[in-house]
Amino acid sequence: MVKIICEGDDDKSFIRQLLQHLKKEEVIPSNIVNFDSYIQSMKGKSNLLDSEKYLTIEKQIGKKIDKVLFIFDCDYIEDDNRCGGLEKSKECIENLIKQLDWSIEVDYYIFNKNLDYFIIDTLDKKDNFEDCESCFRLKELNKNRKILTCIYKTLYPKKPYDFSHKNFNDIKKKLVNLFKVESL
Amino acid sequence: MDNYLKSINIKDFKCFKNFEANGFKRVNLIGGKNNVGKTAFMEACYTNISSTNIDKMWTVISSIKFRRNNLEYLGEVFNLDTMKKDFESLAVINISSNLNISEFRLLNNNGKKEYKFKINNKEIIININDFSYNIERDKKIQFIDNFGLTNSELKDMFEAVQKKDKEEVLYSYINEFDSNIVNFKIIGGDKPQCKVDGEYRDINEFGDGLKHYISIICSLYACANGYLFIDEIDNGIHWTQLDKIWEIILKISKEQNVQLFATTHSKECIESYGRISKKFEEKDISFIELGQKNKKIESIIYESDEVIEQIYQNQEIRGW
Repeated sequence: MVKIICEGDDDKSFIRQLLQHLKKEEVIPSNIVNFDSYIQSMKGKSNLLDSEKYLTIEKQIGKKIDKVLFIFDCDYIEDDNRCGGLEKSKECIENLIKQLDWSIEVDYYIFNKNLDYFIIDTLDKKDNFEDCESCFRLKELNKNRKILTCIYKTLYPKKPYDFSHKNFNDIKKKLVNLFKVESL
Repeated sequence: MDNYLKSINIKDFKCFKNFEANGFKRVNLIGGKNNVGKTAFMEACYTNISSTNIDKMWTVISSIKFRRNNLEYLGEVFNLDTMKKDFESLAVINISSNLNISEFRLLNNNGKKEYKFKINNKEIIININDFSYNIERDKKIQFIDNFGLTNSELKDMFEAVQKKDKEEVLYSYINEFDSNIVNFKIIGGDKPQCKVDGEYRDINEFGDGLKHYISIICSLYACANGYLFIDEIDNGIHWTQLDKIWEIILKISKEQNVQLFATTHSKECIESYGRISKKFEEKDISFIELGQKNKKIESIIYESDEVIEQIYQNQEIRGW
């Protein structure tokens, strides 16, 4: 089977919904059920990038798990973090993959800044929401834009994401590729 | 504990070829898809633990064959020849563990048939015409198959409860399972009966789950300082009783020093196992996931915290 490794429960929930969309679009196999079982949350970026945290998954590699896709946020370059920003995040994940040395196919996808930032970029009412964000100075409260995505989800619970937006293309491509040879 | 089976290497036994697993704990639950070899894995462990001499090895293999084929045996006459035929059908057994080495091979040299046994450091070759054996069974090693215990077997297990003065404990567990039942006795030699509404009724008049539940509790006492194997542990048990069963198993297996192996297909059973282990902070447990890769059987053994984490994350651990 395949495994998607992400940072936390919000990412897990987002990936689950994206997979449901891809199943509906018939671009991933229709016999895949219980999406949660394909997604493992590492409870934070520092855990995700720490090779010591993979003891349980390591037991499954090569036996049960044939392909892995890491999905995580790059966060901000100015963060006091050795893996903050896109370039440093890429460097960290590539080092991790090297350290893990799993003899299976491993790939990664990094969100620009973070999941909430990424999602806001795909909203059809993006400008209105950004006006709201600056009016209430929401970034001063939380620069990760979590508040804004929460407001959006509360207002439009039936349409939390617009998966047809072009910004989703790259992650969709990675997921379709992940499930390509999967036979359950 | 020193007497526990901790690792096993099954070079040859039924569907297993060059299979290795280690990290078994006091209580071990086994999951996997149909026909992956969950029961055969337990039978290999059972054979290896039991086979401390030829009689015991022959007895355990015969009992495994009998259990698997018992419906076909109905009405047949049992004799040594039937047993030999069954035993020979396995042709090769080669299992080693941290406890024992158990090997059997049928040799055929130009029509001269011989049995070759290797048990720990002893190797014996016997012409099959000269072979005979005595039934020798270690009572502290029991295997409850998916048909459950017979009345006679349950009677033997209940004797252990009586010898340990644990009848009251058993009655209270039975009462928690079904509050209408106030007592349990073996009446008329080998008839397990439960008391309901002031009257003793044959256990077979109740649901299969009750007999299975009582069998598990009694067997735990009978296997003190030994081993208990249970195939399809949740057979006939309603999901609301699973937490109770695991609580009992964790408690008595610790108190009586019993190593337990059990199989299941049920997600509810695995979740209950994780939940109760967490509740009682029990670390001496494992979950053994069996699966196949390129037609070879492989295992993944999860420790206590890993089982809980896999369940919490809704990960699939019932085989691949």
